[in-house]
Amino acid sequence: MSLSLLLQSLILGLLLGGLYALLAAGLTLYFGVMRVVMIAHSAFLILAAYLAWFFTKQTGLDPLLSLFITVPLFFAAGYVMQRALLSRLRPATLTMMSVLLTFAIALVIEGGLGYLFSGTQRRIQLGYSGASLELWGARIAVVKLIAFGLAAISLLALFLLLKKTRFGQALRATIQHREAAQLLGIDTDRIAGFGFGLGLATAAVGGTALALDATIYPSLHWHWIGPLMAIIVIGGLGSIPGAAIAAMILGVTQALLQIPMGTTWAQTVFYVALFATLMFRPQGFFGGRLAQRF
Amino acid sequence: MLSASSHGRTPAAIRLVAAVVLLGLVLAFPALAPDPFILSVGVVIASYAALAVAWNFVGGLTGYISLGHAAYSGLGGYGTALLITEAGVNPWVSMVVAALLVGAAAVPIGIASLRVRGASFVIVSIALVLILLLVAQSWAGVTGGSNGLRVPRPFGTDVLRPEQHERFFYLFVALTLVALVLWWLIDRSRLGTGLKAIREDEDKAQALGVPTFAYKLVVFVVSAFFTAMAGGMYALWFGSLDPIFQFSILTGSYLVLMSLLGGVRSLLGPVVGAVIVGYAVEFFKNQYGDTQLHLVALGLLLALVVLFMPDGVIPWLTSQLDRFRPGGTSIREVDAAQLAEERKALEEAKR
Repeated sequence: MSLSLLLQSLILGLLLGGLYALLAAGLTLYFGVMRVVMIAHSAFLILAAYLAWFFTKQTGLDPLLSLFITVPLFFAAGYVMQRALLSRLRPATLTMMSVLLTFAIALVIEGGLGYLFSGTQRRIQLGYSGASLELWGARIAVVKLIAFGLAAISLLALFLLLKKTRFGQALRATIQHREAAQLLGIDTDRIAGFGFGLGLATAAVGGTALALDATIYPSLHWHWIGPLMAIIVIGGLGSIPGAAIAAMILGVTQALLQIPMGTTWAQTVFYVALFATLMFRPQGFFGGRLAQRF
Repeated sequence: MLSASSHGRTPAAIRLVAAVVLLGLVLAFPALAPDPFILSVGVVIASYAALAVAWNFVGGLTGYISLGHAAYSGLGGYGTALLITEAGVNPWVSMVVAALLVGAAAVPIGIASLRVRGASFVIVSIALVLILLLVAQSWAGVTGGSNGLRVPRPFGTDVLRPEQHERFFYLFVALTLVALVLWWLIDRSRLGTGLKAIREDEDKAQALGVPTFAYKLVVFVVSAFFTAMAGGMYALWFGSLDPIFQFSILTGSYLVLMSLLGGVRSLLGPVVGAVIVGYAVEFFKNQYGDTQLHLVALGLLLALVVLFMPDGVIPWLTSQLDRFRPGGTSIREVDAAQLAEERKALEEAKR
């Protein structure tokens, strides 16, 4: 194994890890505000990728511009979904039933995409699709760098939003202790809806980033949901930094294992890590109080 | 205590007669089926019933919803096939041995996924199916990869297809019955009471001294065993295994939908659900072919059930009917003196 190949895998792993981190942050947000495991997250990811592809196909513009449509759209969809569907479920069985409800939504999205666009694999062709940078013998595709940049900027924006704004404070208060937040005059229902919208907006950004350099098809979301679920459990359910760290580590591990094992077997690293975590440290590695009980 | 049925209590004799009539109808189905195709649909529905009842050991008794039971049915199928082809074991012995092995494998899986509450359980159940799909597709030397695996028929070539369907129909019905009896026994046992306490409030159950983890693990393993039996039987009937269909979250979600629709708290709920959903699935496939619309239909139906009838279709229907009845009141139709007399009579009877 040459050193440049190793370096290349390392960089690709970091770039992929960035995307995982953004998406896992979205999943963590849902879990934080509502204790909901959102299976449909990756289905929305693929939906956003399809919208980006469709946008480029119809208008000929750069897929990145579709973000101006998909991000607000997904934010609104997330808000509506939380307010109209998930908040109707009984609190006692919320965890289980929300899984089923979001699973149902994922099926509808997958089936709808398959029906509208057929199961054919799609790919966006761009002027810079083939371009790549060379760095000490490692070749890195420009689209992957753009995807990573998009993920990193969004993650940073999310971080600043949560830490520096009044809304972020209210959201974090809602996540930490709902009743106490209510007593302080926070409209937790609305905030929870916005939290959901934010989570879904990460799927919009992630989907566009994905569409830049991946071949997409309707059932692709199953390949994403497993790793993402594993990441949030390993990071400790409810912890955004934990999810980001776990995403980076697993992304790099996956990329490095691809060299000796091939792509398919390298995927299993997520599941092996998931089982090991649950066996030895069920609350995850970076989880706080929230993770203890779920 | 009678098992909770929202109708109040039907006399035991009527229940027994109804059960016998129902069973008679089920057993007469192969004779009544007009053609082999309908018969094969019946076999599929019977296999769904067996799977749904097996699922309901965990889903119904503990309230832990597994989306990944296809993992156990798939393992049962592959295990059966491999034992027959690689080790030359008798098909029926293979089926049971494979199911026992899956039950044993369910122990560590259960330990990993049941240690923490709900959310992780669901995540592991999904992850398990995805990992097994990867393995079944990649490990071509053993599993045949994406081409799948052929399973030798358990009956000789002189047994024709319709005859095969008939035999397998009875086998699936028998398996379902065994699972139902066991479910009924657990439901009435101390174990069942503990499990239902976990379903209603796990913290309180634990505080009251219910060994929650051990109880959950026991039904989890039982559920995996029966699911693997049904999977193995399906493999023997169908004759070939395709990883995409064996390790499919979709199949797992069918089981959830069936049980929820029929009612997870009742004995026969999953069977009722299997008949409704199984028939609907086959009808849909027949009418609309293999378009992606069946996913949309399945998703919408699941969402409707989760949102509006999480206790099942029968409790939902009765509650809808109750709207037209006079409002329920707590007014007794007897006065205090009559009540005192009734109680006295009861006391007498006890002595």
